[in-house]
Amino acid sequence: MKKIIGIFIVIGLLVNGCGKGTSSPGITEDTILIGNIQDLSGPMKELGALLPSGSNLYFDYVNENGGVHGRQIKMIVEDHSYNPQKAVAAAKKLIEKDQVFCLYHVIGTSPCEALRPILAESGVPLIAPATQSGSMSDMSRQAADLIFHTDTGYDKQTRILVDNILSKNANAKIGIIYQDDDYGENVLKGTAIAEEKAGISVQREAYQRGATDFAGQVANLMKGGVTDVIIAGIVKEPIIVMKTAVAMGYAPNFYGTSPTMDHRISLAAGSAGEGFTSVNFASLWNSDAPSALLYNELCEKAGIPAKMKGMYHFYGFITAQVLVEGLERTGKFPTRTRLVNALETFKNWDGGAFPPITYNQNDHAGTESVILVQVTDGVQNVISDWIE
Amino acid sequence: MKRRYEDVSLTWIPVLIVAIFLLPFMLKGMTFSYKYYLFVLNMAGIYIILTVGLDLLSGYTGLISLGHSAFLAIGAYTSAILVDQVGIPFILSLFISPLIVGLFGLLIGFPALRITGMYLGLTTMGFGFIVKRLIIAFRVWTQGAGGLEVSHPVILGFSFNSDWDNYYLIFTCAIIAVIAGRRIGKSKIGRALMAIRDSEQAAEATGVHLAKYKMLVFFISGLFAGVAGVLFAHTSHFISTDHFDILLSIYFIIMVLVGGASSIYGAVLGTLFIVLLDFLFVPQLKEVIQGMFNIESGDIQSLLFGLIMFLFIIFHPTGLYGMWLKMKIYWKLFPFNPKKRLI
Repeated sequence: MKKIIGIFIVIGLLVNGCGKGTSSPGITEDTILIGNIQDLSGPMKELGALLPSGSNLYFDYVNENGGVHGRQIKMIVEDHSYNPQKAVAAAKKLIEKDQVFCLYHVIGTSPCEALRPILAESGVPLIAPATQSGSMSDMSRQAADLIFHTDTGYDKQTRILVDNILSKNANAKIGIIYQDDDYGENVLKGTAIAEEKAGISVQREAYQRGATDFAGQVANLMKGGVTDVIIAGIVKEPIIVMKTAVAMGYAPNFYGTSPTMDHRISLAAGSAGEGFTSVNFASLWNSDAPSALLYNELCEKAGIPAKMKGMYHFYGFITAQVLVEGLERTGKFPTRTRLVNALETFKNWDGGAFPPITYNQNDHAGTESVILVQVTDGVQNVISDWIE
Repeated sequence: MKRRYEDVSLTWIPVLIVAIFLLPFMLKGMTFSYKYYLFVLNMAGIYIILTVGLDLLSGYTGLISLGHSAFLAIGAYTSAILVDQVGIPFILSLFISPLIVGLFGLLIGFPALRITGMYLGLTTMGFGFIVKRLIIAFRVWTQGAGGLEVSHPVILGFSFNSDWDNYYLIFTCAIIAVIAGRRIGKSKIGRALMAIRDSEQAAEATGVHLAKYKMLVFFISGLFAGVAGVLFAHTSHFISTDHFDILLSIYFIIMVLVGGASSIYGAVLGTLFIVLLDFLFVPQLKEVIQGMFNIESGDIQSLLFGLIMFLFIIFHPTGLYGMWLKMKIYWKLFPFNPKKRLI
């Protein structure tokens, strides 16, 4: 009788493939197919070109060195024009038609939020969504068990910035210029927490995505006697805000959230950008962090033009490192469930750029800390350790 | 007395309805990625409902609207709030939300009594921006710019959980919308709307009440956009202000123009053409075009849409439906080619 039961168990294991791992969509003998959705034709199209290029730089390096358990990584990039509906369509195509193994580095908060129902339905994990919105690691939301965030959220970044300003000047009058969209929404969440904690009131000035004139916002901050301004913009906004302030004879201390960390800001803002302090959730691309050294070496080898190198290109590179580490831990017979389980074994994993990353069943935030970077003599310098 | 559709062969309509019903089964049999194609068809179905209403407004009456994505947004947010926060059943919301959108249509109809053409286009575009700001401002209900999660449609206890289920819900509504649009277009209202488009003075002289009909068509167009909005919200499960930008309104106008303005079937054809082009054919063409010209892949879609609009307006202003009618006449008169006969 025991023999018969044993035979049935063996047959069952073989049928289910438990002994050797079931074949998962996107996995072949020699390839792992992953899907990426970027903004290639919308308001963030500039980043849409940089992020996948940075990721491919690392995937090429891994592929040249034998791939992940002998499989080459191949990435398909789709365009969503920063429209959530198009992001859903692109994800459906990648999952249903192209049969990708997982989604990776999808850009934008609302496009990522729109993907939650598809992720839940298909069981496809989303690794390193390219948004610092804290909502990405909210474990109470749909499909949260399938989303692995790598970046410290905007809400935490804003709270850290307010704390930092108040630690230097307890009487500081703080103002914030924020994009009136999902990004700004998360920044305001952090602002509200910081206000409650410190018992202060932060002056809020909104702008619409794509705005190029900030004279009104700067005039209001000036009128409100604001001494420290946090700019929750991307690249061009801090440049224009700081130059407008100089033109209006207004000289507060300027700070920025992580998207304003781009080194081109200090180049374009010139003297107006002196002293600009921003937060970042990873080491600098031109620092001596292990990932940065490898990145620069590979950029040189691959002939990456100087204008492409920088924070965003590097961001693609280091999130690719997280994905590859997850795939390595998944083992020789990857399935989507095994990838999720493998990522949840990360415990203070140091990839060489991010602060130590930890994931578990109850926490997919990855990192909680940032560094402060200040522009001095036109050059970005790290002025703090990792701050939580 | 001659009946309304006596001259028209309607035998193909039941065949078409059966084909629509069987299409998901055919797709499932043909390809493993049928869910993706169903999703694209569902999107086309929702847009068809909206463009039928837009055609009545812009095609039949000649009133340009660049604010239809805002009507879609109002329908979507109203239904999401009514169903998920107030707690009314989805089926009731499918009737109440479009009525509310229709009232917003009336609101926009007021300025249309005094302005036309480009000025009306700009006014409706401004309406779109106002709606977006209002959605952000009423964050207590809408969750602001962060977006709102929306429940599945549930009718009589049946939950529409998949693209397959949604397909039948959406296309049932789309078929009803097309029939309703055709009936309105062929009725006294439709004739009055076309009279207004051709000459307001002449229409008024023949007894058409301009104010009444202009307000009415904005209301009707709002109703159609409202139904589309309800379906959009509950089948997408997530809505945000990023869904409803000005570009979407322009796409709707392109759909109507490419299909052939002032023809309901044209609106259907134009919508199908643009949606299928956007999601199925442009991705196939991207690599070819990129290989031929040094263009970034993101720009190819804009380039193709611009080119299509340009070609249709210059060479075929009657659109796809006009093309179909020409082919039909040609076939009917074959071998007596009408062009040759003219010579």
